[in-house]
Amino acid sequence: MSDSFKKRQIIIQLIFLAAGIVLVGKAMQLQLIDSTFRNKANATAIEKLTVYPSRGVIYDRDTNLMVNNDPIYDLMVTYNRIDPNMDTSKFCRLLNINEAFFRESLEKDWRSDRFSPSVPFVFMSKISAERFARFQESLYQFPGFFVQLRNVRGYSANTGAHVLGYIREVNKREVEQSEDVYAAGDYIGATGLEASYEEILRGEKGARYVFKDNLGRIIDNYQSKRRDVPPKSGKDLISTIQLDLQAFGEMLMANKRGSIIALEPSSGEILAMVSSPGYDPNDLVIGNEERGKAYLQMNRDSLKPLFNRAVLAQYPPGSLFKPLVALVAMQEGQLKPNRTIRCGGAYYHNGMRLTGCHGHPTCTSVSMAIQHSCNAYFVTVFREVVDQFGFDQPQIGLDTFNAYLNRFGMGRPLGVDFPSEKGGNYPTSRYYTDWFNKQQEGQRWNSLWIRSLAIGQGEIQMTNLQMVNAAAMIANRGYYVIPHLVKGYLNSDDPIPNKYFQRNYVGIESEHFEPVVDGMERAVLAGTARSAYIPDISVCGKTGTAENSGKDHSIFFCFAPKEDPKIAVVVYVENAGFGGTYAAPIASLMIEKYIKGEIDPARRWRLEYIKNANLLGNLP
Amino acid sequence: MRPRGSSMKYMDWTTFSIYIGLISVGLLMVYTVDYEEATIAGNFFRTSAGKQAIWMVISVLAFFLITLIEWKFWQTFSYLIYGLSIFLLVAVLFLGTNIKGATSWFTFGSFSFQPAEIAKFGTSLALANFLSTYNADMRDIRTQFISFAIFLVPTGLILLQPDAGSALVFMSFTIMLYREGLSPIYFIVGGFLAGMLLLGFVFDIEYIALGLIWGFTLILSLNLKSRKWWWALGALAFFATGILFIQQDLFQLVILLSIAVFLLASLVVWRHKKGRLAFMLNTAVLVGIGISFLANYVFYEILEPHQQDRINVWLQPSKCDPRGSLYNVLQSKMAISSGGLQGKGFLNGTMTKLNYVPEQSTDFIFCTIGEEQGFLGSFGIIALYFLLLYRITIVAERQRSGFSRRYAYAIAGILFVHYIINIGMTMGLMPIIGIPLPFISKGGSSLLGFTVMLAVLLKLDANRGVG
Repeated sequence: MSDSFKKRQIIIQLIFLAAGIVLVGKAMQLQLIDSTFRNKANATAIEKLTVYPSRGVIYDRDTNLMVNNDPIYDLMVTYNRIDPNMDTSKFCRLLNINEAFFRESLEKDWRSDRFSPSVPFVFMSKISAERFARFQESLYQFPGFFVQLRNVRGYSANTGAHVLGYIREVNKREVEQSEDVYAAGDYIGATGLEASYEEILRGEKGARYVFKDNLGRIIDNYQSKRRDVPPKSGKDLISTIQLDLQAFGEMLMANKRGSIIALEPSSGEILAMVSSPGYDPNDLVIGNEERGKAYLQMNRDSLKPLFNRAVLAQYPPGSLFKPLVALVAMQEGQLKPNRTIRCGGAYYHNGMRLTGCHGHPTCTSVSMAIQHSCNAYFVTVFREVVDQFGFDQPQIGLDTFNAYLNRFGMGRPLGVDFPSEKGGNYPTSRYYTDWFNKQQEGQRWNSLWIRSLAIGQGEIQMTNLQMVNAAAMIANRGYYVIPHLVKGYLNSDDPIPNKYFQRNYVGIESEHFEPVVDGMERAVLAGTARSAYIPDISVCGKTGTAENSGKDHSIFFCFAPKEDPKIAVVVYVENAGFGGTYAAPIASLMIEKYIKGEIDPARRWRLEYIKNANLLGNLP
Repeated sequence: MRPRGSSMKYMDWTTFSIYIGLISVGLLMVYTVDYEEATIAGNFFRTSAGKQAIWMVISVLAFFLITLIEWKFWQTFSYLIYGLSIFLLVAVLFLGTNIKGATSWFTFGSFSFQPAEIAKFGTSLALANFLSTYNADMRDIRTQFISFAIFLVPTGLILLQPDAGSALVFMSFTIMLYREGLSPIYFIVGGFLAGMLLLGFVFDIEYIALGLIWGFTLILSLNLKSRKWWWALGALAFFATGILFIQQDLFQLVILLSIAVFLLASLVVWRHKKGRLAFMLNTAVLVGIGISFLANYVFYEILEPHQQDRINVWLQPSKCDPRGSLYNVLQSKMAISSGGLQGKGFLNGTMTKLNYVPEQSTDFIFCTIGEEQGFLGSFGIIALYFLLLYRITIVAERQRSGFSRRYAYAIAGILFVHYIINIGMTMGLMPIIGIPLPFISKGGSSLLGFTVMLAVLLKLDANRGVG
């Protein structure tokens, strides 16, 4: 066959030559001309450094600082850049660690995906600023090590530990689930506002790309910082807390177990949220070398200082429940404000003494019944509501009653912006039917069996937040705004959730509130709650006493002033006895502090008395 | 007549010397990469370099063994070898070991090999043999069809593994087909389509369309004799560009205008009795835009982000994360770059020691050459490959047997694609495709495979007077 294409060999050879020239040209550019890499003769790697954003700080409602940021240092190491001949003993001395710690910190499982000898990892975290200052001068002697600045929390006011919460390192599961938001060693809000507003506060991490030499030293920026991503600081949070009032409340609750919540009824803004015993927020600051020990100690403490009683504890509301019963009964048309119900020192049924009461004049109206907290009155009223569809139809009556409780915000978490809020409980008709069926097949229950609900005892449970919410609902004469801790963000127009503006009407007409409010006012003026009296502020309140294994719990909820209320307060003191003894005076001090700014000298003795009372001895 | 059998006397010693040179460099480079390992392991023959040395000895022995085999054997059994390699390619899909997501290896104990290596050799033989049949003519459509089928069948099977790198190597047979008379039109069309595909990955479809239209309008206008048309088209182009610069919003208007101008130019050219050119360019615009659109669609709508990254690393590295997808190439470029003119010296590469470049002894072995031997080393290696390829074309052209010549060009093509892609990849010129650098990269089966290919060529050459 003739070979007419023989000349094509030259074209093919030229292609080979051209390709070779292109490769040589590229090699020349890389190795002889291009300065991108040439000037970094010693560079061995490009590394991505994380630039941490500063976490948003938290202010009180008047923009007084509650939580600030303090610098802290993480010592990072790249394993295969460590100088084998480094002065280990000096290194350990500077960092105040022993050689065993040094060795252990460097021994990682290189086969796992988590560690690589050429990727930096944390050698020692949370070095305080002062220790770092001493170490920094010698840092250059230890190739492979470098320092990363982090921010941890600082608390200048030492107040509001439970409200604020604390931050901790993320755990493995959070890292895996976060889709690259968190990396091992990052901080995350653990409880309180730090947890609720984690996404707002944390900001966004930035990145910096650098050339490093074989000793791990940064030589230069990669691409003159063009690829770098600056971090975005977290937003600063303005909370609804009033720092003074919060501190004052914590002082009042010293050496007592219980909680105080104060809020502004018209807005639902929580002014103070105290849970006692509390703790010093500085104890749980990352970087505090005693942090682990402090945490362990608090966790073991039988008084449970880490437990936030304001939202987590659920108690029977006791007599606090009576105003609510009155409201429902009037709305259901089962009770007229001027009704008289006789009380012979107890609630009697067919001549049997069933629920005891205390001595008081005969109650001729709803307000008087609230004033004297008459058990017989409210058991009677409650039974009439439950039996309004007939004595043999208590389930319809109870469900009707419960529908109101649900609208009052009971039996479900209210939706406060605070983690793991509890929902309390009210027993349903199904619950009783099932329960009685279990006792004896086919047995029916009736209103008499469940009469203690009328006085807030039995299966019914409320959180302190639900109690103060009920007080706010009465203060507003028929609606509440979901209690919340956020007021806004500093220098940001981001809106806070709409649900914290909405008025939730509870389905009780405003005319029915007057007898109840009057009764609560009279309770303070001349009833069970006289210890809450403040000369020139009209306080409306109701005491409660919840029986339990030890001494009774002392409860009080109230709002003030009567017209145009500014504050609603609930105080729950465990094992402190009758509601009027401790809870009521504490609430009155909170009201006075908030409305007047300080306690009248004439009432200082009361302040001193409360402050110094130690009720921890009463615990069972 | 030359004597038959082992004819060392007639061996092409130039090619053989380059071969020995390349495998020696390979051994030294594998040794330097795994130097630390070598010092720890104690027994040299247990290290990577030790194993490579053993393979080197095996390969050289195989080389001489092949010179003992009757040269006609390869042509006689070429279809059988091809058939066997196709069988192995099918078998590996079912029986192979999955390594890094591709089922392309047979593993027997510590030994593993890729049937794709055998397929390269088998396809070279089969294609060379087919074209040597009496009535094969590359200008003939039937010959073209069968030739393409011979290398596209194994390509398809390899894509099923999937191993895009090895599949790409099979495109190298077009070099031999070109030498045998395949029309350049195929390369122009193929190049155009590939170009549009790549453009579609990178640019917005509007810009590609605009570029195509104006580029072809320029070609059309060059075919016009009348100067006044030149002026008219030039003015319109100027006007369109002006609008584009001043008012981005009028982009669609500019496109419409451009299309109108292009059609107008086509019409004028057609009137000038060059209807075929006008028709061709119009088709090209349509097909080109279609391909780019498809590429664009596939890139943004079908490819996963990590697949997009692969392409971006090659075509738009500035879009990639230097610690993520771009890391390998960056580290590789840094290592090569850090060698400077003279390099850091044998065993002195720092990036080598610290494992900063991935796959350093296999696919990225060129980094070590660049880092330790500098530009002089890089140049030397590239020059050595060029010399080898050039020498193979010389050897090819002196064959009296058409089979031997075709086989030689097939081998040249395979080596060419391997070395261009591999070295180009380490310097960021080519996409990251995991194919070894012939004779240098660590790996026994690849070394043995290339050795056999080259040995058969030299055996055929030694008997060139006989055919």
